[in-house]
Amino acid sequence: MRLTLDTYAALQSPIHRWWPRTKLVGLGLLMLGFSSVRQIQLIPVCLLVTAVLYLLSGLPWSFLRSRLRYPGLFLLGIVIALPLLSGNTLLWQWGPIAIRQEGLIAMGLIAGRFLSIVTLGMMLLGTTPLLTLIDTLVSLGLPPLMAEMALLAYRYLFDMAELLSHLRQAMRLRGFKPVGTPHSWQQLAAVIGTLLIRSYEQSERIYKAMRLRGYANSRKTLYQIKGWGQTPDIAALGLCATIALTLIGLQTIT
Amino acid sequence: MHIPDGFVPPHLCIVGYGLSGLITWHCIRKINRHSDPSVHMPKAALLTAAFFVASSIQIPLPPMSLHLVLSGLLGAVLGYYAFLAILIGLFFQALFLGHGGFSTLGVNAVIIGIPALVGHGLFQLRRWLPQALKPSVRLGISGFLAGAIGMALAVSLFISLLILTVPVGFDVATERAALLTLGLAHGPLVIIEGIFTALLVTFLQRTKPELLIGLVPEPVRARQPVRSTGDRLCD
Repeated sequence: MRLTLDTYAALQSPIHRWWPRTKLVGLGLLMLGFSSVRQIQLIPVCLLVTAVLYLLSGLPWSFLRSRLRYPGLFLLGIVIALPLLSGNTLLWQWGPIAIRQEGLIAMGLIAGRFLSIVTLGMMLLGTTPLLTLIDTLVSLGLPPLMAEMALLAYRYLFDMAELLSHLRQAMRLRGFKPVGTPHSWQQLAAVIGTLLIRSYEQSERIYKAMRLRGYANSRKTLYQIKGWGQTPDIAALGLCATIALTLIGLQTIT
Repeated sequence: MHIPDGFVPPHLCIVGYGLSGLITWHCIRKINRHSDPSVHMPKAALLTAAFFVASSIQIPLPPMSLHLVLSGLLGAVLGYYAFLAILIGLFFQALFLGHGGFSTLGVNAVIIGIPALVGHGLFQLRRWLPQALKPSVRLGISGFLAGAIGMALAVSLFISLLILTVPVGFDVATERAALLTLGLAHGPLVIIEGIFTALLVTFLQRTKPELLIGLVPEPVRARQPVRSTGDRLCD
């Protein structure tokens, strides 16, 4: 399991320098605008805007490729299934296999929206350290309890993944083979149970340490990301909002 | 069972975010009734991380293998924290694995989070099961129901959403066949999820029963008033 994302967060690019709060709202609006597109003619516009932003971000293509590997399977399913199964207008036929126009259009729409939104999401997270992102979310109204939970879960995610790999290694060394028998399921349940128990015991130690360091039932919201940045940040937000609203407006007019 | 980005229309994404916001508000309200809500936060956070990691374990079911969602167990162990844990887990899944999506985070949280809260309720049924049954059997039955019904509900929500968003022009017979196949394909997962939840709760009962008391805070009103030491000495 690959659990790192901040690898390229320290690069210097206009997207990296964009004030996190305006960046989050701007890219969020763009995602909303892209998801509203229902005309195939507008998909190249979405892809073009995404490509320009990605180029500006300076993130390597390998980063996007590695992140698209798993969702790409879904995309492949759509690309194969829709033109064959959806629609009435035949474009090409060979025996029982037929490609239909409506299915092809639906495939283009879903694949285009998917690629644009996923790329924007990855760009947002690739150019903003996770801590800054959560801080920004708190400044925009995320409950502090959820922010604390998310940060602590993120901190211990790596420990849990390591613990699970140790447990798996220990089981392999003792000759465990995952077969579909009730005994093997029982052993796998014991592994999951052990993982939960260890995390529970660790959480008790962490809570005591936190209390000793002054953590209490305080709901004072302390975040460092305030304001909307400087003029270029706000201008970029305005540009994103204009593109998103234009796309949404074009859907409602037609 | 995660809806990816770009698959559902924007109004559904907004409704998803709205609904999950409302449920989050309700859960936080319930959590804040505790005299010190921060007590359980580290436990909920670490269990969120553990559940996230545990859901990556492949369960062999020849000729294939599947991974668990564990929403019923999350509800049983975390109570009202379960919905928050699912939101955070889905955010991490979209972030690290590209599983699900950012625009569909709210929709996915509703699909998996509501069954977790239902699982929490079903797990409490163990108190109403016949007392003639052994405690471990009662626990196993309630665990199975929480896991299986929670999963069945999640599958039903997922398929209903697919029906709502299926592209226009899709052949009706093909659509029915596809949905039926999808429903049947998830059938074994419902049973396995129930079996694993039952196995896990009985394992936890044997080894760490306090985990099953849950992080469900008791309302402050329901608590007994604290008596001063002087009162106790006079007893």
